[in-house]
Formats: sequence, C-alpha cells, structure tokens
Amino acid sequence: MSQKNRLPRGGRIDRTRPLDFTFNGQRYQGCDGDSLASALLANGVDIIGRSFKYSRPRGIVAAGAEEPNAVLQIGASEATQIPNVRATQQALYDGLVASSTNGWPSVDTDLMGILGRVGGKLMPAGFYYKTFMYPSSLWMTYEKYIRKAAGLGRAPLENDPDIYDHMNLHCDVLVVGAGPAGLAAALAAGRSGARVILADEGEAFGGSLLDTRETLDGKRATDWVDQVLAELQSLPEVTLLPRATVNGYHDHNFLTIHQRLADHLGETAPRGAFAQQLPRQRMHRVRAGRVVLATGAHERPLVYGNNDVPGNMLAGAVTTYLRRYAVAPGKKLVLATNNDYAYRTALDWLDAGLQVVAVADVRHNPRGSWVEDARARGVRVLTGCSVIDVRGSKRVEAARVAAIDAVAMKVTSPGEWLECDLVASSGGYSPVVHLASHLGGRPAWREDLLAFVPGEGFQKRLCAGAVNGVFNLGDALADGFEAGATAAAQIGFKHGASELPRTEKRVEEPSFPLFQVPHEKPTARAPKQFVDLQNDVTAAGIEQATREGFESVEHVKRYTALGFGTDQGKLGNINGLAIAARSLGIGIAEMGTTMFRPNYTPVTFGAVAGRHCDGLFEPARYTAMQAWHLRNGAEFEDVGQWKRPWYFPRPGEDIHAAVARECRAVRSGVGILDASTLGKIDIQGPDAREFLNRIYTNAWTKLDVGKARYGLMCKEDGMVFDDGVTACLADNHFLMTTTTGGAARVLQWLELYHQTEWPELKVYFTSVTDHWATMTLSGPRSRELLSQVTDIDLDRDAFPFMSWKEGLVGGVPARVFRISFTGELSYEVNVQADYALGVWEQLIEAGKPYDLTPYGTETMHVLRAEKGFIIVGQDTDASVTPDDLNMGWAVGRNKPFSWIGWRGMNRADTLREDRKQLVGLKPVDPQKVLPEGAQLVFDPEQSIPMTMVGHVTSSYMSATLGHSFAMGVVKGGLKRMGERVFAPLVDGSVIEAEIVSSVFYDPKGERQNV
Amino acid sequence: MSAVNVYEQRPSHLDGQSPLHHAGLAELVGKGSASAGIRLRERKLLGHLVLRGDARDPSFAGGVHKACGVELPVALTLAAAGETSLQWLAPDEWLLIVPQGEEFAAEQRLRDTLGSELHYAVVNVSGGQTLLELSGENVRELLMKSTSYDVHPSQFPVGKAVGTHFAKTQLVIRHTGEDTWQLVVRRSFADYIWAWLQDAAAEYGLAVDA
Repeated sequence: MSQKNRLPRGGRIDRTRPLDFTFNGQRYQGCDGDSLASALLANGVDIIGRSFKYSRPRGIVAAGAEEPNAVLQIGASEATQIPNVRATQQALYDGLVASSTNGWPSVDTDLMGILGRVGGKLMPAGFYYKTFMYPSSLWMTYEKYIRKAAGLGRAPLENDPDIYDHMNLHCDVLVVGAGPAGLAAALAAGRSGARVILADEGEAFGGSLLDTRETLDGKRATDWVDQVLAELQSLPEVTLLPRATVNGYHDHNFLTIHQRLADHLGETAPRGAFAQQLPRQRMHRVRAGRVVLATGAHERPLVYGNNDVPGNMLAGAVTTYLRRYAVAPGKKLVLATNNDYAYRTALDWLDAGLQVVAVADVRHNPRGSWVEDARARGVRVLTGCSVIDVRGSKRVEAARVAAIDAVAMKVTSPGEWLECDLVASSGGYSPVVHLASHLGGRPAWREDLLAFVPGEGFQKRLCAGAVNGVFNLGDALADGFEAGATAAAQIGFKHGASELPRTEKRVEEPSFPLFQVPHEKPTARAPKQFVDLQNDVTAAGIEQATREGFESVEHVKRYTALGFGTDQGKLGNINGLAIAARSLGIGIAEMGTTMFRPNYTPVTFGAVAGRHCDGLFEPARYTAMQAWHLRNGAEFEDVGQWKRPWYFPRPGEDIHAAVARECRAVRSGVGILDASTLGKIDIQGPDAREFLNRIYTNAWTKLDVGKARYGLMCKEDGMVFDDGVTACLADNHFLMTTTTGGAARVLQWLELYHQTEWPELKVYFTSVTDHWATMTLSGPRSRELLSQVTDIDLDRDAFPFMSWKEGLVGGVPARVFRISFTGELSYEVNVQADYALGVWEQLIEAGKPYDLTPYGTETMHVLRAEKGFIIVGQDTDASVTPDDLNMGWAVGRNKPFSWIGWRGMNRADTLREDRKQLVGLKPVDPQKVLPEGAQLVFDPEQSIPMTMVGHVTSSYMSATLGHSFAMGVVKGGLKRMGERVFAPLVDGSVIEAEIVSSVFYDPKGERQNV
Repeated sequence: MSAVNVYEQRPSHLDGQSPLHHAGLAELVGKGSASAGIRLRERKLLGHLVLRGDARDPSFAGGVHKACGVELPVALTLAAAGETSLQWLAPDEWLLIVPQGEEFAAEQRLRDTLGSELHYAVVNVSGGQTLLELSGENVRELLMKSTSYDVHPSQFPVGKAVGTHFAKTQLVIRHTGEDTWQLVVRRSFADYIWAWLQDAAAEYGLAVDA
C-alpha cells in the first residue's frame, strides 16, 4: 500500500529514506523521521485496535504520551517482544514489527464486535467494584474473559537480548521538557554557568515548536530551536537528554529519567565502537538542586456521541501530523472547539490544500485573530455550536453539528449532518501536572484557565509555561526564561538579562467551559460519549457512579475505572471529573483530582533492573582459596554474600555420601576447612577488656594473654544475637571472631555502644575479616600434620586447648588458634590473605600421607551438631536466651558492671522454666531424619489445630553415631529428658523422637583437649 | 610482652597474591584498545594500615605527621608524600598506604613515635584490600554508572576521597589526578568489582596497564 495520506511537501521527515515496517502482518512503508503512529496514519490505517470493554474499533487520537488507543506490541522475535508501546512515542525504524494488543481475533473483522455490542450489558460501569463485592468466586471467570478480550500486551517468553543500565546524575537545575518554556529555562540557567540537565521525552527537542505555525523573530520557530540547541551544546555544564522521559519525582529532588538510547534505531541496540553491546535504555537517577517543570499541557478532547470512532482526533494532534510528519489523516475536516488555539489546526489544514467543512465553536461571538484568519480564508464558522454526534463504524463518515446551550446542557437546534472523514476537537488544555503532584502536592483548579495547575510544591521546584497555564507562546517563553534564571540564582548562579525572541502580535480570547457536549437524549440514552477511551468509560458511566453514591473522585475512579490503564487518564480524567462534579452539583475545584503517582509513562523492567542482573545481580564474596575450591570440584553454599564450599564430592558421590566421608575423615583422621569468612574484629585499647565484659555475657577480666574464650553476645532483651571466640593477643589487644553473616552487624553494634553509651572507654575496633585468611585443621591427626609445616611447638602442654601461638606455617607468619568447632583436636591457622593459597596448598601437600580431607560447611554443621554446638540464626531466632540454650555457664552473673542483656534475661518472662529450650532429639527410628523446621507436639493424637510445643532447628544423619539426630527447642525441654515428642509432617506421617542431651558425641569434651 | 601484638605478617621470600590475582590482569596488559576511554591498573600488594586516634590531640596529630611525613588530612581528603598516602576515613580513622613490605616498619615507626601512653590503634589490613587506579577521559562516566556520589570536579576535586556506595556494594573512591581516580576495594568484593568495572567500561573501551 502506498502512503496515501502523505503530503507531497513539508514535515520533518526524509522522503529519500523509506523505512519498511509491519503492522498486524501487513507490510507498509514510512519515512525516516516518522513515528510509528504517523507512519500508520500515512498509510491510511484507521483501526489500530479494539476497545477494552465494548470491542469497538479504535484509531489513533493523539500524537504524544496521552494516546489511549495506539498502545501496541512490538518486536519481530519472541525475545524482543515489548508490550505497552505508544505508537505516538515510538520512532519508526526499518523492519519494525508491530501488532495490536487488543484486537482478538483481528482488529478489522467484527467477531468480537458481536460480543462487543452486548459487552456493555455484560460489563456495566462499576463492574470491577461489583464483582469484587460479590460474588468474589466469579472474578476468576470474569477475569479470563476480560483479559482474553482486552489483551493489554504480553511479556516476552524468551530472554531479552538487550541490556539496560543506570547513570547517576547531579545538577543544579533539571529542566523537564524542551518545549518553548523548557528551552528558555535551560538557556537562562545554562548561561549562568550552572550545571543544567535538559530532558525531553520526544524524539527531538522543541515540543510544540516543532509543529507550530507561529513564528519567532519572524522566522520558523524551529530555527530558534536549532539556535538554542547549538548554544546549549556549546555550554560545558549543560547535559541534553533526548528521548528521555522524566517519569518520577521523588523525595529530596531525586528524579528518575528513562532514556530510550536505541529504541529508535532498531529491534535491538546496535554494537558500539568497541563491538560491545550498547544499552537499549538507560535510567538516569538524578539529584537536582532545583527542578524546572516545563512539562506542557495535554489537549482535552470534546465528549460527544460516538467520539471514539476512528477519525476523531485531537485538534493539536492533527496539526502535529500535518506539519511535523506531513501526514493528512483525512480529507474533509470538521473542527469542534471551545477555544482560539484550535483554529490553528483549521488554518494548517487549509495550508495543506485540504477542505475544512466547518468549525463548530461553542462560543457565541469569537473574535480572536486566528478565528478571523479562518473566516477570512472562507472557513464556515458555526458559533454557539458543537459536534454532538458522529456517524460511521470503522471511520467517521459525518458529524452532526447543532446549536447547544452548554450551561443548561441542552441542544437548541436540530443541527445538520456534515459529511466529513475527520473530526478534530479541542476542549482546552490540561497542564501536565503529574510530576508536580508525585510528592503529594494537589493540583489547584483555575476557573479563569479552565485548568488544574500545579498546587503547592513541597520541593525545590518551579513550574514554567503551559504547565502553569501559560498557553500563549510569548508568555511561555518569558515564563520559562524567568524560571530558569530564578532556579539558577537560587543555587547561586547569576546571569544578566537576555533578549527573548519576538512573537506575533495577536488577539486571543478566553475559552468557554465544555466538558461534555449535550445531546437531545439524556446521557444514559444518548449515543456513547467516551471520556476514557482506554477503559471504555463513558459520561453515562460516570453519571451512574454518582447516582449510586460515589462522590469522592477516588471512588468514582475505582467504580468506573476512569484513569486506570497505561495512559493513567491523561486524556480523559479532567473531563471525567468535571462530569462527575456537574452530576453531583459541585464545583470542579471541590471535586479535585485523583492522586498522581510515578511513573508518568510505563517503564520497562529492564530499565528498572539495569545491569543488576545475571552475574552482577548480587555481589559474590570469595576467599583467597576460591581458585583451589573451584579446581577441586567444590559445591558452594551461599552464606550471606559469601560463596563457601558446601562439600567436595568425589566422582559418583551425592551430598550424603560426600558429607559422610568428610565427617568420618575428621573424626578419625584429619580434615581441612576454609574458615576465612568468619568475621574478625581487631580490638585495641586499654579498655578493650572492660568493653568485652560489657558486650559479651561472660567475663573477660581474667583471660590471660595467649588465651582464647568463647563468648555469647545478647541484645538488650537478653536474646542471643551472635557468638564466637575472642583471643587476648596482648594486654590491650584482642581479636574477636563473629559468625560469617554477623560480621558487619557486630562491628556496627560495637561502634554503636562505644559511640553512644561508653565513649569514655578507650578502645578501637577495626574489621580484619578480609585481611586474614583462616584454614582449620581438624581431627585426631591434625597435630601430626601441622607439625610438618610449622616451627610452633605443638606439644599439648606448650600449646593447650583454647590458646594461640605465633609462628611460621609453610614459611608464612601465622597466628594459630587451638580452638574447635568439631569437638576434635583442631588448629585454626591465620595468615595474611595474600599468602593464604600457598599455605593452603602446602598443607594439602603435607596432608597427603594423612589422607587430609577438605570439608565444607555441611560437614562442619553435622560435626558441630553432634557436639551440641549452636549456630546463631539456625538454633536461635532472636527469642532465645543463653539459659534457653542451656548455656548458662557462659553468663557472668557476678560481673561488677552491668552488661548488655543482663536486665533482659532477668525479666519474669525470660526466667520462666517452661520456655522453649534447646535439647537434643533422637528419632526413635534411627533412619528417619526430622525435617528442620518441623513443629513438635507432645500428643500426636490430639485434634487439629494441635498444641505446638517447639520445633526442630538442626537435623542430620550422622555417620559417626550411626543414626539420625537433631536439635530443637521444646517447651520446658531441659526438664523433659527421656520424654517423647512427635513431629507430625505434611504427608500425614509422624516422626517420634526422644528428648536427650544436645551433646551427642564425646560429652566430656576429651577429644578436643588431647 | 607489649600491650599490643605487632609482628611482621608478610613473608619476605614469597610472592603474594593480590585479591585480583586470579583475574590475570598481567596477561591483559596491552590487549585493550589503544583508544580506550578507561585504563585500569591494580596497584597491588601495597601496605595498608588503618589508623585510629584523636585528631584534636596534638600529640597524636603531631606524632602521625612525624612518623608518616604526611599531616593528618581533614575530612574527605587525601594527603600524599611520595609513595605514602594518608586518607581520612572517619572522624577518628585514617587509611595509611605505604609501598609493599613497608607496613611493618611504618607501624613500628608510628608506635615508637606515638608512645605507649597515648590511646590510638594501628591495624595492618594489607591482605584485606587492594587499590585499583582508573585513568582516561571516561572515568567519570564509569563512576557515574556505579555510584550515586557526585563525581563532578566541582564536588569531587583532586585530593578528595570518600567511602561510598558502589554498584551493590561499597568502597573508597579517591580522586588523585585530573583524570585519575583510585578505588580501595575489599578483598572479598574484588571479583565483583572487577566484573562490574569491565561491564561498565565496555562502552568506553577498557585497557589494562601494568
């Protein structure tokens, strides 16, 4: 098909660069510079989709973000599918593939139309509200029907081949919108030397100047745009962001901008200069000193009968298609207006050599300059009139124009049907107050402007131009310049006065309020007068909502769905709430608007995620021995952000076999564990010891230099929150270890108490977690092995349990701690991490004669549980005291100075003897492993809901013990030794277990102390 | 025994492995684009010491100046003399970086100068972090992709240093020359940061320097 609606001349398109594209399977051609919408219109595509509720054919209405109908799915392959694309904001590229999102089964055939005609009965206004009210069970049925029929686009089923990223920007002045006011503001702020960002959602800067017939300095307005852009580009502190929609205005002048870097270039982003993948979209996170909102205004359509038939468009959009894209979306125009500005469209239409059938102006005696221009050129201007109905099914065929009394809401003449194929309407302009309102500033109604303008701003922002209700071009330029200069000056940047371009002198008259065009019949019986095209909300539906008692604008919205949808009511909301106000007999100001929330337009998930996906989704922390673990086939477990070896399977082994083998090796020979991830905090100062007394539950006064001690740390409530071994390195010097996951919060905890409660204590804390790498040799042969590679005297008396020594291990200076988390003879070797892999490899080499076995966290867990050693966070959950853990031995009840947790653990509730207490659980069936987390009951025969008395915290099969075992908390468990508890499982089975001591292996602790 | 346990932790006869040892940066030298907008160099295995003390106490401030040859820098700044740099980390915390193998001597010099009466702390963290140096005309853009801190020269002049948010973790950013910046990266996060930097630099071209 040829571009039958393309004008031979004009427009900002390149006719020498044709671009092929496909819509609903049909091939078309557009030009470079087209939007997808303008290319569709150029090809005479009238029907773009079918409506949400009534399945009525719909065409393109607008030319910008407010477009309600042309919301398309684009993408040639499954992986490149993008839903929610407004054809008016999508630049055409060669090979673009688009399809309707709501045209099941086809936009042109009328199968759904049959349903559509009864659809109104099936789905009246208030459908959502009523179905949510009753019966809720039917919603699932309705929803399938609605979703299938409406189809609001779909997500791709394959991975997106494109990448997206984020950029953090800072500026003195962010100017939002590059129309006349925005350009002037950016110029004023930019010339002052301030750091300025100018962002605009369009394909080109200029806004309304790109298609206006008005001149600046007697020349085309675009000449001035080019001149301003050239100057802005020359200013080093000015950043221009084209194709960048400012979508969110957040607290503290933080704004999010979504820039489409490559959406105009093709299906996927091209490769860059280094053959690398370029991002398709970029989210700018902007911190701005001042924000100038120059977001412009959206034209309101008039609400008359059948105003949704394809061929009903906004007047301003018609001008945009004519002048910017050189597309005439019809031949014979009827224009309906309540203001002067829309006359520009009639004049533009004449300039294109097309026929203006008539202009219907609701005003009785309009005498503005453009009105007179139109009259002078022979246009038939029908005053006191409006279009009240339209004929045509797939395209406008005629419009009925009649005299109306807009105040009394009456039609006062029979009117006449005028043959035409395009009805352009303008009901005035609604400032784009969205960003100004994101943080709660409610827009204010200005009766003189018939518009909501930005209300009180709680942020450091200024508004300029049409968003302020300043619609006249010259005034908007001045308003913008003033706002830009003021914003810069508030930051401290000054610049002298500048000349603004000269605008045309003309008479402009006020518009007349018209939010719904009357019809002879009452609204409910008149032809459908659509208010919100995307949600099929009619004037009748809004009236019904108010009749049913919905008086708040928010309730009207939820009852009718007005303003739901991807366009968020940009086109219809003001008309809708004005109709609701009239129906309720109140003023528009009293009615107010609904809330405006980010984002202004839909945002892709890719842009939100940025590069924080795949391998960069979350930082992975590695120890110095990671390369060895990888080479030796470790499986890894996530512990916080750390990757820790979980177990080291040999060929053919599953986790159970590997863990059983590793456990046996440690109990009978020697194993090696990478323990580098444990938190390590260097503590120095003369009051270090006293600080430990106050932060730990146990006493530290008598810990000698060279010794180490296990400690429990509680919060103020007396509940355990971390544990670990702390060694005394010298009189004023300690090394604290924490759990792997608790390292950062323990350091914070120490600093918090030091800085806020005990600043008089002379002590400093420094994290050395990453400095030291730690390898644990554990097992009865560990002494023998270590002696091969160290100069330290390992004799049991010279180097006893719970002490540490300094010396060389593998030729590297080391601190060796004789502490044990397995219950076996163990040495923890600490060396500077830069040398750790070499030491580890020497130990592995030296360990060959001893069958040294690397083991992971799973084996460590089994071995420590056999000994009844707790893991904070697994066996505790912030509701467990040291006494609950049967660890009262670690509580220094006689410490002279109070310490954290002491008062908490002496409350009546924490002293109760029937609290949940940690005990051992021995399944009666030695092969059955209790699931961790399983709830425990005393009587499995009781009726549901059962009285739960505790739960399993740790549970394993033990190769050493030859049976399964577990730890768990049980109410009063410490006094229930020998009693039975039961774990009823989801599959209906029950595991019975005996309550036993939590120390299953070597209860006297002899093996670690040899 | 002294009140603090201090000893030479680095073996003199062995080569250490920096946190990015496994990345094989040395093999990448010379393989990047000549027109790369980002050049990266790991200044590895330097001596890193954390210094804590009371800056208002002249005996501490004077002692540090004397021992390091650099005055205690004020908040958010970095001071350097030759290969030694001293950076403010927090109101009572500084990072001293000295050439490889000099950290033990530096700590001893500090302790000798500051004496045993004064309350302060010196902690060797050389194994726990590394220094990445970024240069080239696009480093600022790379940093803007990575951190929400303002890196414009008017807000982040040469000589400034901050600990801040970076990608999904945190590190220290130091501005050491007009187009030269340094990152102090913790060992366990080095792999993530290296992956992030490669990705973020792809748009500008990345070259690795020895």
